[in-house]
Amino acid sequence: MKEILLGNAAIALGAVVAGVKVVSGYPGTPSTEVLESVAQYNRDGRIKVEWSVNEKAALEIAAGASYCGARSMVTMKQVGLNVASDPLMSLGVIGTKGGMVVVVADDPGPISSQTEQDTRHFGKYANIPVLDPSSPEEAYEMAKYAFELSERTNLPVILRPTTKVCHSSGTIEVDESRFEYETEGFVKDSKWVIFPPLSYRRHLEIEKQQGEIADIFDRLSFNRIEGDGKYGIAAGGVTYAIVKDIIDTYNLNVVLLKSGAVFPAPAKLYHEFLQRVEKVLVLEELDPVVEEQLYHILAVNNFHKPIFGKLNGFVTPAGELKFDNTLKIIEKFMEIKLGTVEDSTGTKGIEFPLRSPVLCAGCPHRASFYAVKKAMKGEKIVSCGDIGCYTLGNAKPLEMTDTCLCMGAGITIAQGIKKADPDINAFAFVGDSTFFAAGMTGLANAVYNNTDINVIVLDNCTTAMTGQQPHPGTGKTMMNTNSPKIDIASVAKALNVGFVEKVNPFDHQKAVKVVQEAAAYKGVSVVIFEAPCVTLFKSEEVCRIENCIGCKKCINEIGCPALYVKEGKVAIDDTLCNGCGLCKNVCPTGSIK
Amino acid sequence: MDILIAGVGGQGIILASKILAYAAVIEGRKARTGETIGMSQRGGCVVSHVRTGGSHSPYIPVGGADLLLSFELCEGARNIVYLKKGGKAVINTASITPVSTALGLTAYDGDKMMKYIAENSNAVFIDANKRAKESGSSKAVNTVLLGAAFGLGVLDLSEESLRQSMEKNIKPSFLALNMRAFHSGVKAVEEMKIKCQKC
Repeated sequence: MKEILLGNAAIALGAVVAGVKVVSGYPGTPSTEVLESVAQYNRDGRIKVEWSVNEKAALEIAAGASYCGARSMVTMKQVGLNVASDPLMSLGVIGTKGGMVVVVADDPGPISSQTEQDTRHFGKYANIPVLDPSSPEEAYEMAKYAFELSERTNLPVILRPTTKVCHSSGTIEVDESRFEYETEGFVKDSKWVIFPPLSYRRHLEIEKQQGEIADIFDRLSFNRIEGDGKYGIAAGGVTYAIVKDIIDTYNLNVVLLKSGAVFPAPAKLYHEFLQRVEKVLVLEELDPVVEEQLYHILAVNNFHKPIFGKLNGFVTPAGELKFDNTLKIIEKFMEIKLGTVEDSTGTKGIEFPLRSPVLCAGCPHRASFYAVKKAMKGEKIVSCGDIGCYTLGNAKPLEMTDTCLCMGAGITIAQGIKKADPDINAFAFVGDSTFFAAGMTGLANAVYNNTDINVIVLDNCTTAMTGQQPHPGTGKTMMNTNSPKIDIASVAKALNVGFVEKVNPFDHQKAVKVVQEAAAYKGVSVVIFEAPCVTLFKSEEVCRIENCIGCKKCINEIGCPALYVKEGKVAIDDTLCNGCGLCKNVCPTGSIK
Repeated sequence: MDILIAGVGGQGIILASKILAYAAVIEGRKARTGETIGMSQRGGCVVSHVRTGGSHSPYIPVGGADLLLSFELCEGARNIVYLKKGGKAVINTASITPVSTALGLTAYDGDKMMKYIAENSNAVFIDANKRAKESGSSKAVNTVLLGAAFGLGVLDLSEESLRQSMEKNIKPSFLALNMRAFHSGVKAVEEMKIKCQKC
């Protein structure tokens, strides 16, 4: 049966067909739907699927399963691999038994990420093979193959899709079969215990293995040379698909090197490609990984071909390669005009309204930020934000995010600021899922080092930004079973936090009072603002506005997307309003009911 | 055929693209879509690309779309640039005011947007929000617009495959209302045609 599947669902299905038995991960755009799709295909419940507390935990769980001979997969976004890099580096030395696939989604642009880092480097860094799909269809094939390759090499394999593969869909013939095998279970062996002498021996073996894997990659259809001509273009990932479209559209005579199994480099294939062409253009998003590999081949084989790419400034070092900018680069490289699409509609003379992402109407984070802002009016404060929907608290008119770095950093950055700038009221905002993923150790650090910070936990009972995943505080698992809820207030108390209060942020007066008490408290304070994400329930209520005097204080103070101006007065868009009532606390004339 | 769907995060754009792509698969063709999933879904600009012509990449080039379906007025204007010269556009006249406009930071002139769309495309304007509400839910804007596009005769997909695709991709409890919304979209275009003949 043919299905339209998102790249992420295709990867999930490939893993299911390959007989994956344990799948763990931590949500992160653009990777999230991989694990969720495994759970969807897991109707008989034979696959153990879990959202782990963070990527490090997730990767170690997949590794443990692999030690037993089970096929396992771990999923995360690129910055998640930074968190999981400790186990990954060591696992590259120890190796695996059951096929283990590490799905790491990169995000050129970046579109929903902090960095434009390139996971292909991690393959080289950790001596782990990397597969780089160009489409959902290929991602499906690669997911299946990755388990075989892992078992053949006894190494974990990185499958690195990018956003345009994860979040595009293709037509896939769904395979109903499942690879069946017995899991041996854990067998004691000193090879599972990392020690310096073992690491030295393994290092020698692994380096030797790189050449063997490169030989496999030379013959693998994921890597290939297509077409004829004097111009060579090397492209990997979704950029290959874009270049193919351009070649087809303009009937170009080009030798196209498709990079799919990218590390270790298929040296013989690269050599053949370089020999066939007069000059080479390398098109790849993020870092010039294939480009550097091609230079390496030239150097070891002691010959020269002009290479155009990121390293000589020919291709932009940052952002996405789309059809239009790729076409321009190819025109310049081939010194021809192919009819780049000019802006025929003439957008000159018209400006479109800016439309940035915002906190939803009725979002409890808006109420929380507003409570802190009111409570601390006139005081010197810093608001250290974190990763989640609440990063959007930076936007006007709230402007309640002064720093944002990475998962869990708000709590610890606040401590650093307090140490260097002692007069400041240091606030750290952290979401519930982020608290469990990366906040608890930072909180322990603040207590241990007696740093007077105020931690605001924005507990909306879900992992909202990535699409409502459960976490340890929700009492639900990915398999939809119950688990003991971990109470954030109890965790804070157990960590010896002296001031712990829980309050509903929509109870505005009380919320303001609690924040003021927390700020006055000398030592670490934790305020938990507890109210569910608006996506979790359907509110029947909407706010009504009558006799508005048009002062727009509500819009200017809270910036709710349901509030807009119509003929000089504020109106409420009842398709967006959630009836949270925060605006009622702002209106000076009591016009909002 | 290349179809660009534009709108604001939360309007149900991904479902519309899925219905179109799967309808093409039902007809034995290959389809691809490219979606906006992530931070933009929180009230930001969202587009879906639907390609049924055997392309390799999921994203429609600038000036390449045969049809633009817009769920929101200024998002329609913003994405006209993707249309081929003389390409058709089905535009929802309803607007969603960005917070930046409410705050007075950026202007949103609806008449200007409409004029710009009309000048730069072969556009049909319909109040899809009203029709969705009449069909039973304001969420059904997506199926109203699909119905309008079908009614215009610009989709290379049969009504039967669209119906089957809707059955497959819409929860059974919402199917009847979405079928009503689809037919309301078809009707909107028919009414427009009659009006045109009269004038």
